[in-house]
Order: sequence, then structure tokens, then C-alpha cells
Amino acid sequence: MGMNEHDAIRELLPLAASDALDEKEQRRLEEHLRACEACAAELDHWRTLGRGLRRLPTPQVSSVLFERTRQQIQVQLAAEKEHAANPWLMGFLVLLSWTLVVATWPILRLMTQGIASWLDFGFRSMWIGMVSYTLVGWAAGGLAAVALGVRRASARRAT
Amino acid sequence: MGPLAGETEVARLRRGDPGAFEDLLARYQHRLYRYLVRFVRDRALAEDLFQQTWLRVTQKIGQYDPQRNFEAWLFSVARNLAIDHLRRYQPESLDEPPPGDPTGESRQARLAAGGPSALDHVLERERSERLEAALTLLPWMYREVLTLRFEEEMKLEEIAGVLDAPLSTAKTRLRRGLEQLRRILEAQGARKTWA
Repeated sequence: MGMNEHDAIRELLPLAASDALDEKEQRRLEEHLRACEACAAELDHWRTLGRGLRRLPTPQVSSVLFERTRQQIQVQLAAEKEHAANPWLMGFLVLLSWTLVVATWPILRLMTQGIASWLDFGFRSMWIGMVSYTLVGWAAGGLAAVALGVRRASARRAT
Repeated sequence: MGPLAGETEVARLRRGDPGAFEDLLARYQHRLYRYLVRFVRDRALAEDLFQQTWLRVTQKIGQYDPQRNFEAWLFSVARNLAIDHLRRYQPESLDEPPPGDPTGESRQARLAAGGPSALDHVLERERSERLEAALTLLPWMYREVLTLRFEEEMKLEEIAGVLDAPLSTAKTRLRRGLEQLRRILEAQGARKTWA
């Protein structure tokens, strides 16, 4: 048995103790071990080390950590569900807003041609009135949405 | 367990079913925590990363391929978070082995002394706390592979999957990790004899 072969086998021993040899290496090792007691003894030492590693105590997750993580997962899932529903809600609100603008426009026109016509807000001009009315409506809606969002975010942080 | 219990479980997770995530958390809590403790060597940091890992899992579960081993995926999520954290706050802990030392041996390892009998002496007399302490002296890349192989009992292919590295890399790290660990134990055993 050559010295090189012996050294090469020694390199395989830690892997053999880890059950990490491929078939070819395993055959080569077994063949060598039949004729080499020193390597067989050496393999035993590596296996002892492997057994020690397998028997190391497992650090345990405390019930507090488990519960905290569980709650965080729930909050996260709720936030993701809400986030997923947001585009639909936004689409619905946009549609509703336009419907309201169009539906209430004749009423506003009627009012501005009557009592408020002497103030001359410019509402008698069709396009200026329509744009102003839409902008005021959207600005109010936008402010309400921002206020609601801020309130929800602070409520979520509090939990 | 390799893959999740079945399509139903994956579907429940993708639907965002809190019960499915709780089952998963209960099943993997100790193993994931152990991996992180071994990786970062700091229980408080491991707890923080443990929570971050589960939050990341809830965010990324849609990207999980059910054909892939779930454990490997879970541990790779944890690993990426741990490496990101260490890179940002403790970059020195990610240092590669010192130049001129191809095996990456630590100072303790270089104090190696004694042969198999010294190892026997140590392993017979010392309790697992000693082994655990020796494990913490290894570079992170070896600690990680040893815990995945011996504590998680992952196959080399699965370890390579967690590392996102070739099989040969996982194999080399496993061998070098064991060799260094043994040298550390032998050095400690020898020191104890001299004392």
C-alpha cells in the first residue's frame, strides 16, 4: 500500500463519518480498511466526533418568542390581505366618485343659476364649473383617504 | 420531512391561511432557531432573525416551488437574512480565513496537539457543552455545514441547496469543518492535560 493512497484515504475519513462519500469513494475506502487497521481506528474517532455533534442539545424556542412570532405572522397576513384588496376598493371608489359627480352636476347647475348666480363664481360657464366641482370633490375625497390611512397605520403600529 | 405535506398545504399557505403558518411555525421552530443560534452564536440576535425569517416566509411563500425541499428553502431564507445582518453590522465575523492559511484554521486549531488518544480523552471526558463551545470557534461557513449535516441530518445535495453552492463546496466545507473541530478539541484536551 503506497503512502499516497494512505493519505488520500485519510482525507476521506471525515466524510465517511458524515456518510457523505459517493459510491466510488465508499468502495475505495472499504477496500483500504480491510487491510489497514490504523485507518479503521481513525475512522472510529471521526465517527465518535460525528455522534457527539448529533447529540448536541437543541436550543429551544421560548413560549414568549413563539407567541410573539405567531402574532407577527397574523398581523403580516392581515396587512397583506388588506393590501391585496386595496386595488379593488380603489377601483370601486373611483367609479362611485365619477357617478356621483355626473349625477349631482345637474343639481349644482340648477342651484348656481338660481340663488348663487349673482355671485358669479363662473359656474355658469359649463366647463369651468364642471372642472371646479370635480376638483373640489376629489380633493375632499383624497384628504379623507389620507386621514383614514394615517389612522389605520397608527392603529396597526399600536398592535 | 422534505417537501410539504402536499398541494393542499401549499395552497393553504399561498391563500394566507394563518392556521397553515402556525402549523409550520410549530413544526420548524426549534430546528430553525438552532440553525440560527449556531450560525450567529448569539441567542438574542438569533431570536430577532427567527422572527424576521417567518415574516419573510409569509411574504415569499408565493415564490416557493413545491417541488423543492421545503427545509432547504426555509433555511436558505434564514441564511440570507443572517448573512445580510452580519454583513451590515458585524462584517468582521464574515471574514474569510486568514491569508496564507488555506484551511482557514483558527489560532486554537493551530495549537493542535496529540493524536487519536487525545481525541478520545477529550470526547470521553468532556460533555456536549465543550463540543458546543468548540463549534463556536469555527468560522461560520464550517459551523453552518456541520449543523446542517449532523443536527439537521440534511444530505449533501440539500446542504448545497441551502448554500446555493456546488456540491463539491458543501463537501469540502464539511471535511474542513470536521478537521478543524477535531484540532480544536485536541488542542483543548492537550491544554487541559498540561494544566
